[in-house]
Amino acid sequence: MSDVANKKRKGHFWSTDSKYAYLFLLPATVFLLVFMIYPILNVIIMSLYHTDKLGRFIHFNGFKNFANIFQQEDFLEVMLRSVYWTGLAVAVKTLFGLALALLLNVEYKGRKILRALIIIPWASAVPISALLWSWVYHHEFGLLNHTLKSIGLWSDPPVWLGTPISAFFSVIWVDIWIGIPFMTLVFLAGMQAISQDLYEAAEVDGAGSLQKFLYITIPGIRDVLLIATLLSTLWTFNDFNTIYIMTKGGPAGGTQILITYIYQNTFEWWKWNNGAVMAVITFIILSIIAWIYARFYFRKGE
Amino acid sequence: MTKLKCRARIDFWGVTLLYETLKGGKGMKRNVTIALIALVLGVLIIGVPLFLYAERKDGAGKATVTFFWALYDGLTEEFRAELQDAFNAAHDDIEVDIVPVDWNLMHDKITTAIAGGKPPELSVVGTRWLLEFMDVDAIVEVDKYVGQQTLNNIAPGAMEAKIGGKLMGLPIAAGARILAYNADVANVVPETMEELRGAAIRAHDPPNMYGLIMPGQKYTELTDFCYYFYAAGGDYFEIKSDGSFGKCMVNSPAGVKALEFMVQMAVEDDIVQDGYLSLDRMRSHPIFYEGKAAYTFIGAWVESAYKQAGGTFDLQYGQIPPFEGDDGTTLIITDSIAMFKDAENLEAAGTFLDFFYQDEWKAVFDESIGFPPVTMSAAKLPQFQTPLYKVLGEAAMRSKGWPLMAEFAEVTDIIWDANVEAFLGEKTPKEALDDAAAEIDRLRGM
Repeated sequence: MSDVANKKRKGHFWSTDSKYAYLFLLPATVFLLVFMIYPILNVIIMSLYHTDKLGRFIHFNGFKNFANIFQQEDFLEVMLRSVYWTGLAVAVKTLFGLALALLLNVEYKGRKILRALIIIPWASAVPISALLWSWVYHHEFGLLNHTLKSIGLWSDPPVWLGTPISAFFSVIWVDIWIGIPFMTLVFLAGMQAISQDLYEAAEVDGAGSLQKFLYITIPGIRDVLLIATLLSTLWTFNDFNTIYIMTKGGPAGGTQILITYIYQNTFEWWKWNNGAVMAVITFIILSIIAWIYARFYFRKGE
Repeated sequence: MTKLKCRARIDFWGVTLLYETLKGGKGMKRNVTIALIALVLGVLIIGVPLFLYAERKDGAGKATVTFFWALYDGLTEEFRAELQDAFNAAHDDIEVDIVPVDWNLMHDKITTAIAGGKPPELSVVGTRWLLEFMDVDAIVEVDKYVGQQTLNNIAPGAMEAKIGGKLMGLPIAAGARILAYNADVANVVPETMEELRGAAIRAHDPPNMYGLIMPGQKYTELTDFCYYFYAAGGDYFEIKSDGSFGKCMVNSPAGVKALEFMVQMAVEDDIVQDGYLSLDRMRSHPIFYEGKAAYTFIGAWVESAYKQAGGTFDLQYGQIPPFEGDDGTTLIITDSIAMFKDAENLEAAGTFLDFFYQDEWKAVFDESIGFPPVTMSAAKLPQFQTPLYKVLGEAAMRSKGWPLMAEFAEVTDIIWDANVEAFLGEKTPKEALDDAAAEIDRLRGM
């Protein structure tokens, strides 16, 4: 038997180029297994058990934990608020992102500087942005109220972080502010990949700006739009930092969403199996959302 | 042999990093494989010993003691560093690492440390937290590790952390809450809450001067409602015949009176600081230190915090008054140092506590944070004979602490939310407290 045939019969893996790929992937795989897969599995198992105050498993409870959670009024309220929070924030980020991308897609002086400035909210660490905005919203010393009073727009502005509704919109604005640059840059990248010939041909055919936007730009960035909104949905649903730093879910639970409620249950009240159940529910919700997106995305190829 | 070429295109966020290599001959493939294996082995060979080196072992080099150090108002970073350096210099075999932690984050930090299997040797804790830690068997009796001389020097009245006959925490601070006022604008030391309200109304002159400080944003402690609640003679829970806690009584007439009074001052009279609903305790008190409020209920740290803030007004003290006709009390809060069972160097931690509790350090600590000393030797020092300490001593005589129960963190949250609902007018004080009491009883299975 030839040497080549021998090598292919025993140790085929090591005679191909795939081994390089696997070797390069090994550290990342180990990292994922240890720091992601194991904790996820642990939480899923924890959600089926009754635990002690340190999260140690006591006895198997099955789906009773889930049934208990769904009977809690607070949980349902928090779920609803999470959906509203995510839907509103992603919609606004998408609209603003599209608008800014359109503006940056046009040639004019200073465009490059504007592109660089757009990135600033996204480049700053989220906790720093949250602290900054906490001070902007400060009732007495904050920039916002000072500006509103100085220009005569509002002589007695509200306590932005002091009431549930104003706090909700104040905090959601910070999440939107941080997320707009990502959407803008991704949409801009997509727009720049669209051939100019299409626009020129459309102009020749007498298409207006709105028609060009609806029939060329939007279809042209469809894939990018789907990916960007999916990512934004996943990140916004789990936006812990902004809320925790600014309001800790208050006042009176007005800014409490699922992720902050999970934290409160687990680390403040030591109700680990409650936290685990809600974490699993979050995982399921976001998986379903990702699956729906994937169906839309891959349908293009059919 | 072909040279190794690479071509890279990097796009951000969701777009691929493309890297290509053009392979060389047989020798190149073997070299790359060997290089990769060597890299992985190198990481393991260097990384594992580094990791083990970071693990602390008694008797194998210095024993490291980690101490979670709560950031009391008035406590400076310089003091922390000096204490750490002095102890380490005096002990060749022990190294203490004093880790500063914000009070609002301390409970979470300890939780994650215990759950992660890496608790510190020592931590400052709210004494009521000791019950939670005992519930999960996370702490040890401190008198097994602290010297007898240190224990004998602690005032017996400060030993709140003696639970079931076992000393589960070493008292570090015990302070009753008092009234502090700006004597430049307020010349009345009120004897009742009703008098306080009248004096605050007279002093109120926004935005330069507010009548009273009232934090409205949730904080880790529920002190502000408690001041009024205890002043009305209230108790959080009924006490059963066996001494255990029964049903929640936060919605008793005392509780309703307290919350109605708070709402009246904050909303109807509008004599508290602007934006109080978005200001917790840490952000509210500096308004007083700056001289922009006439009255505040506060703890022993007021004097040192006032000095640190560069306060210039005439700061005076009095007792938190009861409501007219009520046999009110004030609140006393004690903090303790807990020792954690799964920590490695408890003997060394005991040695550190013996060092820290000498007057040279503990008296300075007490003076910085303004709390009366828990040690008998420090209590005799001249710096603790000032008017502030006289008032604190009198307050301690008519004070009571929090209910010592493991679920009090969640109870606190529920009552805070009730307070905010009442401030916002979403519910009347009675409705808010009735709902809170029902929720607390449900939580405790009552």
